[in-house]
Amino acid sequence: MRAVPRHVACVMDGNGRWAQRRSLPRTAGHRAAETTVIDVIEAARGAGVEWLSLYAFSTENWGRPGDEVDYLMRLVRRIVRKHAPLLLARGIRCRFLGVTDPRIPRALARDFADLATLTGDNRGMTLTVAFDHGGRRDIVEAARSLIRDGVPAEEVTESRFAAHLPLPDTPDVDLVIRTSGEQRISNFMLWKVAYAEWVFPEVLWPDFRAADFLACLHTYRRRDRRFGGLPPRTNGEPR
Amino acid sequence: MTPGAPRTDTAPREDGPALFGPGSEFHALFDDPRWALALVRATVLEAAHPQVGAALLDNSTFVTHPWRRLRNTFFSLRRMFSPDPAVREREAARLNRLHGRMSGSDGRGRAYDAMDRATRAWVVATLFESAVTMCRLSGQPLDQDTMERMYAEYRAFLALLDGDAEGMPADVHAFWPYFDRVVAHELENTEAARVILYRLFDDLPAPALFDGAPTLWAAGRAVAGPLLGAVTVASLPEPYRRRAGLPETPGAEALMRSAYLAAGLARFLPQGLINAESVIRLLSLDGGGEDPRARAVAALGGHVKRASALLRLLNPLDDAPVPDPADAAEAGEARRSAGDFFRRVLDQTGDGHLDWPDLAAMARELATRLDLDEPEETRLYDAFAAWWRELQAALDTDGDGRVSADEYAAAVPSLAGPALIRVAEVLFDATDRDGSGSIDADEYRALFRTAFHRDLDVTEGVYGRSAFVGDFLSFMSARRTGTPYDPLLTDA
Repeated sequence: MRAVPRHVACVMDGNGRWAQRRSLPRTAGHRAAETTVIDVIEAARGAGVEWLSLYAFSTENWGRPGDEVDYLMRLVRRIVRKHAPLLLARGIRCRFLGVTDPRIPRALARDFADLATLTGDNRGMTLTVAFDHGGRRDIVEAARSLIRDGVPAEEVTESRFAAHLPLPDTPDVDLVIRTSGEQRISNFMLWKVAYAEWVFPEVLWPDFRAADFLACLHTYRRRDRRFGGLPPRTNGEPR
Repeated sequence: MTPGAPRTDTAPREDGPALFGPGSEFHALFDDPRWALALVRATVLEAAHPQVGAALLDNSTFVTHPWRRLRNTFFSLRRMFSPDPAVREREAARLNRLHGRMSGSDGRGRAYDAMDRATRAWVVATLFESAVTMCRLSGQPLDQDTMERMYAEYRAFLALLDGDAEGMPADVHAFWPYFDRVVAHELENTEAARVILYRLFDDLPAPALFDGAPTLWAAGRAVAGPLLGAVTVASLPEPYRRRAGLPETPGAEALMRSAYLAAGLARFLPQGLINAESVIRLLSLDGGGEDPRARAVAALGGHVKRASALLRLLNPLDDAPVPDPADAAEAGEARRSAGDFFRRVLDQTGDGHLDWPDLAAMARELATRLDLDEPEETRLYDAFAAWWRELQAALDTDGDGRVSADEYAAAVPSLAGPALIRVAEVLFDATDRDGSGSIDADEYRALFRTAFHRDLDVTEGVYGRSAFVGDFLSFMSARRTGTPYDPLLTDA
C-alpha cells in the first residue's frame, strides 16, 4: 500500500442539499458543517496527514444570495474564534488562502490574520483554509508577480512559476475529497491539483465523519496497488 | 580643555578612577533602575527652567516619540561617557551642532537659545542633583568622597560640551547654594514641565514592543501614568512645588519613598540582570545589528504579537465594526490616510501643526541615525529648510506661518516638489560613501542597518539614485505604508 497522502484537500460540498432534505434553511446546513470540519481536522491529524486544505468559500460564491453570504461571514468568524485555542493547543498551523476581496468584513479579515499569527509557529499539521479563493486568480497573480520581477520568458519554468503562487511552500495536493457525489474541480487550487487523486463520496458534507475520511484515505492508498509495477512515488514530491 | 581648569581634565587621574569610562560613578548609574525615576525628575527640573522649557516645547519630539527620544538620549550619554576620548569629542561636537540649531522665543516673547551657557550648566546640575537625591531617597546616601567625585564627573561632562565648566560652581559646597538659588528664583511652572508631569504619562504611546497590544498597553498606562506623575511631583524640591502650585497629594510622599526604595532594592539582584541597554533595545524592538541577541528580541516581539492575537480572538464577539483604520493597512498595499501621515510622520513635535521644528526634528533624527558628520549634516538641514520654505509657500493658505492638518490634507500632491527631491538626493549622497553614483549592496545594507535598524535582503544589483529618490518620495508624498522608512520616522 502507498503511504498516507501528504496533502489532502476537501471540497466541502452538499451543505445546502443537506438542509433542503430536512426542510431547513440553507444556513442550517452551513452550521452543521462546523462539526464535520473539526472532525476532519482531528482525523487528518491522527492519520498523519501533514497538510490539510479546506475549500470554504470560492470567488464564485459571492454570487449567492446576500443573506446567505452575510450569514456565512458571521458563522466563519464565530467558528474561527471558538476553535482558535484548540487549534493552537493541537499544534496546527492555520493559514488562509485568498481573502483579498474588500467585501470580506474587516473584523473577519483581522481574525484570520490573528489566527494565522497565533498559530504561525506550530509545527504540527498545516491547515490551509481557502476562503475567497479562485485557482485561476492565483495563477494570474503568479504571472503578474513574475512580470513584476522582470523574469525573462525563457527562464520561466514550472518550479519558478510555482514559487510565485500564494503560499508557495504548500506541496502539490495528493488527494482531493469532494463530498456529495459532485464531480467537478470548481476552480480549486488548479495548479496544485495537477497530479492529485480524486475521490467522490456520495455522503453530504455535514454527514461526513472521521470514518468516511479514513475510508477515503484507504481508497487512496489502495489505488496505488492497481498501478503496481510502476516505481513507487508519492505525488507531490518535488520533481 | 581650558588650562585653568584641572578638575575637568578627562585623563585618568593618578589618585583615583577615571572621570569617564567604566570606572566612573556615572557609569554605575546606567543599569540602576532608580535612575529611571531620577531621570524623569531631572527632566522636570530642566523643563521648569524657562529657557529650557521653551526650547523643549518648541523643538522636542518627546511627547509624540518618547521612546525614540529615550533611546537617542541613552546612546548619546553613553558615548559622552565613553572611555575613548575621540568618541566623546565627536559626540560633544554633534550635540553642540544639534543645540546650535535651536533658538527662538517662548510664548511671552522671551528669547531662548540652546547654546546659552548658564542654561546648559543648569541641565547638567539637575542631572547631578537628581542622582544625589535618588540615592538619598532610596536610603543609600552617598558619602562625601563619592559625591565629590561624582560632581567632578558632571563638571567634566559640562566642560566637554562647553569647553570649560565655569557655568557650574567649582565644588560641591558651592553647588548647593547655587542649586537652591535657581530653584527658588528662576524656575517657573512652565508649560513643558506641566506637559511632562501630566500629559506625557497619560498619553504615552506604546513602544514598538507593545505595538500589537494597544489594549494591554492602555490598561497598564492608566494605572502607571498617574502613579509616576505623583511620585515625580513628590520628589521635587519643596520650594519649587510651592512656586509652581503643584498639588500635595496625601500619601504621595510615602508612595514616592517606597518607589525609590523598591527600585533601590535592585542592588540585591544578581549583577548584570538588569541592563539598561537591553531594556531599551527590547522596548524599541531593535535587535542591534548582527548581535545574536537580535534573534531573542525578534522572538520576544513574536510572542507579544501572538499573545495579543490570542487576546483579540478570545475577546467576546461583538458585531460592532472595527473602528481603527490603521488595521486596514495590514491587509496590504493600503495607502495611509492624510491625517494619519500628518500625525505619525510630519508632526514630529505633536503640537497639531507642521512648522520648522517638525522638519528640523526629522533632519536631526536622520542625521543621528546615519551618523552624519559635517558638512553632510548641514547639507541635510539646508535641504530640509528649503523643503520647509517650499511647503510653507504651497500649503500655508491662512498665512499664520505654519501648516495645519487641514491645510495639509487640502494640498497633499504639492508635497513632492523639487526641494523634497533635493532632500532625497542629499540622503543618497550621504549613503553613497564611495561616490560611485549608485548604492551597492554593502552601502545599502549599511544604510538600513545603521539608520533603520532593519536587515534587508539585497543580494544582487545596485540601488540607483533615481530608484532611491523615487522610493523616498513615495514614502514622503504617496504615503505608502510598509516602506523601510516607516520605522525611522513613525516609531514612538
